[in-house]
Amino acid sequence: MTISWLQAAILGVFACLCSNSCMAGQAVGNYTIGRPLVGGLVCGIVLGNLPLGIACGVATQLVYIALVTPGGTVAADVRAISYIGIPLAMVAISSRGLNPMGSAAANMAKSLATLVGTVGSVLFYAVAFMNLIWQAFGWKDIEKGKLNRLYGVDFSWPWLSHLVFSFLPTLLMTHYGAEAVTALKTALPMNGIPMKTLFTVGAMLPCVGIAILLRQIINKAIDFIPFLVGFTLAASLHLNLVAVTVISLLFAVIMYEIEMAKGSGNSNASYASSNGNAVDDDEDEEDI
Amino acid sequence: MDAEKKRISHKTLSKSFNIWFWGALTCFSQEHMQTFGYLCSMLPIIKELYPNDNETQTNNIKAYTAFFNTNPMLGSVIIGAIASLEEARANGENIDSQTINDMRAGLMGPIAGIGDSLIDGTLIPILLGIALGMSRNGSPVGAIFYIIVWDLIAYFGQRFLYFRGYKLGDKAVGFLVGKQGKAVRRAISIVGGMVVGGVLATWVNVTTSLQLRDNTGHVFLDLQKQLDGIFPGILTVIVTLFCWWLMSKKHVSAIWTMIILIGVAFVGVVLGVFNPGLKY
Repeated sequence: MTISWLQAAILGVFACLCSNSCMAGQAVGNYTIGRPLVGGLVCGIVLGNLPLGIACGVATQLVYIALVTPGGTVAADVRAISYIGIPLAMVAISSRGLNPMGSAAANMAKSLATLVGTVGSVLFYAVAFMNLIWQAFGWKDIEKGKLNRLYGVDFSWPWLSHLVFSFLPTLLMTHYGAEAVTALKTALPMNGIPMKTLFTVGAMLPCVGIAILLRQIINKAIDFIPFLVGFTLAASLHLNLVAVTVISLLFAVIMYEIEMAKGSGNSNASYASSNGNAVDDDEDEEDI
Repeated sequence: MDAEKKRISHKTLSKSFNIWFWGALTCFSQEHMQTFGYLCSMLPIIKELYPNDNETQTNNIKAYTAFFNTNPMLGSVIIGAIASLEEARANGENIDSQTINDMRAGLMGPIAGIGDSLIDGTLIPILLGIALGMSRNGSPVGAIFYIIVWDLIAYFGQRFLYFRGYKLGDKAVGFLVGKQGKAVRRAISIVGGMVVGGVLATWVNVTTSLQLRDNTGHVFLDLQKQLDGIFPGILTVIVTLFCWWLMSKKHVSAIWTMIILIGVAFVGVVLGVFNPGLKY
């Protein structure tokens, strides 16, 4: 499988639309087009192998099921994962003749896309840096009272940042990277230690994504309980995700009622502890 | 000032919302983040409230040049609420740029925290979890399901929040920081925790291939079976908690955590603990 200039260019446009500071808006760009699952669909259509694209998208999505960008810090870049990593993974999988639905293909996709996505976070910072130029235009326009020009600052000029740091890298890396990935096949045999390591890491990488999310949810040891209960419901009782959610809603309702019922008189105290103070929270746990 | 009360038209509010929806982060920089999205979405409102008065327009828009960053989904409630403040100011109420900036600064933190755990941490993992199941055999149905359901929720949900914010003004978000807000956040964190646990168990499976054989070749210790006998999926939980421990207790970055995993995997493969079972 090779990637032609035209195919690479189409992927490049999608990269501009989806990367954070995305030209298609946050909900449609970053949260839809940028998701590896959707990226897999797009790459599958563009490269003409839909099942393989979806399979790579599904595998990679697992790593990034909880991609949060608190305060604009990124551990990985969606344009690099979805529109550079997935196409290259597709080429690698088909050049090695792996079964697209197999776990070997999935782990290959995870490792490759994560590697590219991690290195690609440099693109995120590059675009954000270049946008400072357009923002400087914006401050001048406000000083001069030319307010209509602000629309250009927000919607038009950033395309130039993306042309340089989204479109071109995607175009070049998918077109030339496809050849390199195919050449690597002979250099690294499947039963060698490097490939075995790569595939083992692929299976573990989603743990990092989940751990990033846990870092947000868990403030103290007791917060692990809901997480472990959810895990047990799915792993031991084999409930699917919707069923787990429904059960969790029951606990959520109980928790809400308890919080609302207790200490009606100390609204000041609960206001002060709204930032996650441990003192007040310790009482809740005994109520469970 | 006119005796008649100024009202922002529905059309202008819609325009302001759409600018936020499509442009909240288009001109992102580390220094100003969502400031330009915020500026631009207030622009139609300022222009309607002070028609043909470039000087007032320019003066008032300066209130919106302050740093702005929040969760862009839930954040639309802030934009709506501030639109109603700007309307009140045009009607001569005692609101200045400082009031607007105080409100913005007070809200963007809590809204970002709630939005990140509610949307990124709960809603999206649930939607993706369902979609992944539908696409498991290479079918595009799951991806299409996600595109349709998420975008409908995102567009109409944000639109609802925007107009809610406009209607209630600064009261719209009052419940988020009071006692009720705390109860809601506790409740959501339970859902979030359980869903994340479910996602981990459904989609991630770390296994060991370590088997000890006696001299007749009979397997007398199959570590994976032993571990599953203790608690199904225990190895997956251990690896996840190890990553969590590295990142939150040892302050290792996500990238270094991945590199450490590569080291663990390499050692494991060499020792025969991990074997992905590859062949051509």
